[in-house]
Amino acid sequence: MGNNVLLVDDSSTMRKIVGRSLRQAGIEFDNIFEAADGLQALEVLEKESVDIVLSDINMPNMDGISFLREKANRPNIKGIPVFMISTETGDDIIGEAKSLGAVGAIKKPFTADMVNEVLGPFLK
Amino acid sequence: MDIGQDIVSAATDVFSTMLMIDLVVGEPLEGAGAEITSNITSMLGLGGDIRGMLAVHCPAAVAMAITSGFLGMDVDTLNEDVKDAIGEIANMIAGNLKISFAGYGVKVELAIPTSVVGESYRVGGMLAARRVAVPFGMESGQFLVELKYIVNG
Repeated sequence: MGNNVLLVDDSSTMRKIVGRSLRQAGIEFDNIFEAADGLQALEVLEKESVDIVLSDINMPNMDGISFLREKANRPNIKGIPVFMISTETGDDIIGEAKSLGAVGAIKKPFTADMVNEVLGPFLK
Repeated sequence: MDIGQDIVSAATDVFSTMLMIDLVVGEPLEGAGAEITSNITSMLGLGGDIRGMLAVHCPAAVAMAITSGFLGMDVDTLNEDVKDAIGEIANMIAGNLKISFAGYGVKVELAIPTSVVGESYRVGGMLAARRVAVPFGMESGQFLVELKYIVNG
């Protein structure tokens, strides 16, 4: 069985890199959805069946922290696991993300092995 | 603080991890100098205990080679993908620098990168700022990472 993954990053290049890293890590998926900010991510989550979200933190319009906060207020999508994938790795911001429901974090720059190490146990 | 060495560590980590490229590291320079002819510059503002700007200046050939490496496909124009890719390079180098600065007890906030493309432009501003620049080499040519900063307080 595959997975439906949502990649949230204002950089289209980074979304492609993360998607490729998932494939290189041997993580199977049925669909990769993409969003350029938190607002678009919420729209995708409301429309599509998504198993896991990988989200940047620093984004225009709605950043990753605000996205988590808004998602936590929506009962139909609040349970979807979110991993932060960002240059932001400070205890304060990652701690805030986790307090809002994020289940893990991957630091940029990253390798496919790092992605697999963090995500593998959570995927079907 | 050894900011020149921090830039070296930050950039070499990004390129070796994301692109599997071992950069040729030039001599870090403080003050003026180490200019290169660039066709694209990605800049990212810094705030917090210091304010300033990190910039990555690339000739077209280097920028396109970096983007090709990221995307796994040939890139032969300075298109939106290239602006985006060099912006991400600046973002990740700045993220690594933020961690280095935290080790000195200096808290830094990062803005979102912006890229400019052109044949003849100059990045100015922050006349009172300190400047540290490090040239790096890869197969397609040289690029420059530049930090201009003012310590607050």
